[in-house]
Amino acid sequence: MHAIAIHGGAGAVPRATLAAERERNYRAGLEAALDGGYAVLERGGTSLDAVATAVRLLEDHPSFNAGHGAALTRDGAAELDAAIMDGSRLRAGAVASVRHVKNPIELARRVMEKSRHVLLVGAGAEEFALEEHFSLVPNQYFRTPERLEQLQSEQRGEHVSDLVPPAAQGTVGAVARDARGNLAAATSTGGMTNKRPGRVGDSPIIGAGTYAKDGVCAVSATGHGEYFIRAVAAYHVCAAVEYRGFTLEQAVHELLHVILRTLGGDGGLIAIAHTGRIVMDFSTEGMFRGARDASGRREIAIY
Amino acid sequence: MPRRNITVILLALLAGTAGSVSDAAPAAASPVAIVIHGGAGVIERSRMTPERAASYRAGLGAALDAGYEVLERGGSSLDAVVAAVRHLEDDPQFNAGRGAVLNQDGDAELDAAIMDGAGPRAGAVAGVHHVRNPIELARLVMDKSPHVLLVAGGAEEFALEQGMALVPRGYFRTEAREQELEAARRAAAARASGKPTTLIMPPGVSASMGTVGAVALDRAGNLAAATSTGGLTNKHRGRVGDTPLIGAGTYASNDSCAVSGTGEGEYYIRQVVAYDVCALVHYSRMSLAQAVHEVVQVKLRRTGGEGGVIALDRSGNIAMDFNSAGMFRGARDSRGRREIAMYRDAGD
Repeated sequence: MHAIAIHGGAGAVPRATLAAERERNYRAGLEAALDGGYAVLERGGTSLDAVATAVRLLEDHPSFNAGHGAALTRDGAAELDAAIMDGSRLRAGAVASVRHVKNPIELARRVMEKSRHVLLVGAGAEEFALEEHFSLVPNQYFRTPERLEQLQSEQRGEHVSDLVPPAAQGTVGAVARDARGNLAAATSTGGMTNKRPGRVGDSPIIGAGTYAKDGVCAVSATGHGEYFIRAVAAYHVCAAVEYRGFTLEQAVHELLHVILRTLGGDGGLIAIAHTGRIVMDFSTEGMFRGARDASGRREIAIY
Repeated sequence: MPRRNITVILLALLAGTAGSVSDAAPAAASPVAIVIHGGAGVIERSRMTPERAASYRAGLGAALDAGYEVLERGGSSLDAVVAAVRHLEDDPQFNAGRGAVLNQDGDAELDAAIMDGAGPRAGAVAGVHHVRNPIELARLVMDKSPHVLLVAGGAEEFALEQGMALVPRGYFRTEAREQELEAARRAAAARASGKPTTLIMPPGVSASMGTVGAVALDRAGNLAAATSTGGLTNKHRGRVGDTPLIGAGTYASNDSCAVSGTGEGEYYIRQVVAYDVCALVHYSRMSLAQAVHEVVQVKLRRTGGEGGVIALDRSGNIAMDFNSAGMFRGARDSRGRREIAMYRDAGD
């Protein structure tokens, strides 16, 4: 059964303050990404193409913390991280701290397919982008008035505006299983608002924020990245399934509600089993998410 | 305390007394141990001169003993792995710190990570060009920032904020690494022009799977791991391998084990090698030696990933294994073991 799940970040978005219009906007963004990814699967495309498509759509949507509309560093710049993994051959590609790549997920995929490497960072990643004939964009492309306001209020020490979900835990991602049974995962983020330049979270780290292995599972995480790195979160879920015979639900539950809770880290993740079964769970108040599969399931949810 | 533990402790004390002539056995019963590596990219045995072998051994021995001394005087495993790795970073023979391999621009571009098994806490840096001892910066990231990984210019900005003095790029460059880069460039050019070629290294220069690392167990029963590297010769700028990625090249948890890896980093990243060893110990009830064997000799071989790991658990069990021609390595513990080795046979 082919299936795809996506997320647009986890966080405390008090239900009362998420204005109806904003909520419609988030839902529309999630739907477009979900359906975009699903359409790839439906026409027989690979899970890799499906997750790249869904994540690219979320990167282009200004409401989510990735690509256009990403959170800003303390210098007021967007600094982006992304990773993709192909569960069929355990191939992976990732980039971190890039400032001029419109769709970091596409560069991550290029790293996987056209270089001998897995992770390229900073200016070296952008040099590779140019070698691969990407056109770079000015950093300003990513900046939106909402993110600027969010940065300024954070720098003034104010409570982050209730109108904008906290970027700290916003990240976008997708996991999919195609008709051939191949699994893939992709994650992309701008990281934390007001972050120190050079800070890299879990998203581009294979095993932490992103992992996929055929026959086991595919995972994309969102949350307080440092905790997800220390817990090797995404791979932990797959290892619990593979080595301990956990169901995917049990593995995800243990990670989020036992291990990360003990460490003090919040967040959520989406995962897909080799059967195509989808698990979406979080320890925060909400997680922007969506799931669609060949059995006719199609859902978008926030809380 | 169950009687069995008492027996084990008594045996350990007896073994300790029998194995060494020096100090009176310490009051603490728990073993201390440190294991180091200086990379899996060992020079082919046929090209290793006795002088060079002696020199590598001396460098490994000095790092091993520096780390062990910390443990012996009751210091933490974190301090021990930093002491050992700093020694290896300062030794130009090894691919980390001074004497690190050079990237396509002719610069050393350094990565390092440290993890405290008692936390779990971790710190790492990647793509730095001006930090004399990257392992110390990784430790500062762990101790003084809320983050785990800082890269490139942002990591160096943090170093300055922490009062660290930066060094010029020239500090890291050695003649041997410049020759190695030249050879790698010639080989790349020959490949590009379609000529069949093998990478011929200048005499005495190793192919660069070298990386340095250490794992340690202290008297309090805490594990720690640290790894530091210059990566690959002629690498693309910005390329980051497994070393600074928690779970890939470096991992420690008091629940399972401490691991530091060295090898073809991309394979280690995809297979989450360091964490995988510990997950097998923790969840599949394998012994440390079985888990290391499974990951290095079965799982990495299956994908073609070349390299090795060193690992240590809370009982003081030591594993050093590799699927490459050799691995510079050393181990020392409070049971009297002290060994340095390079090739397959221990002591060789």
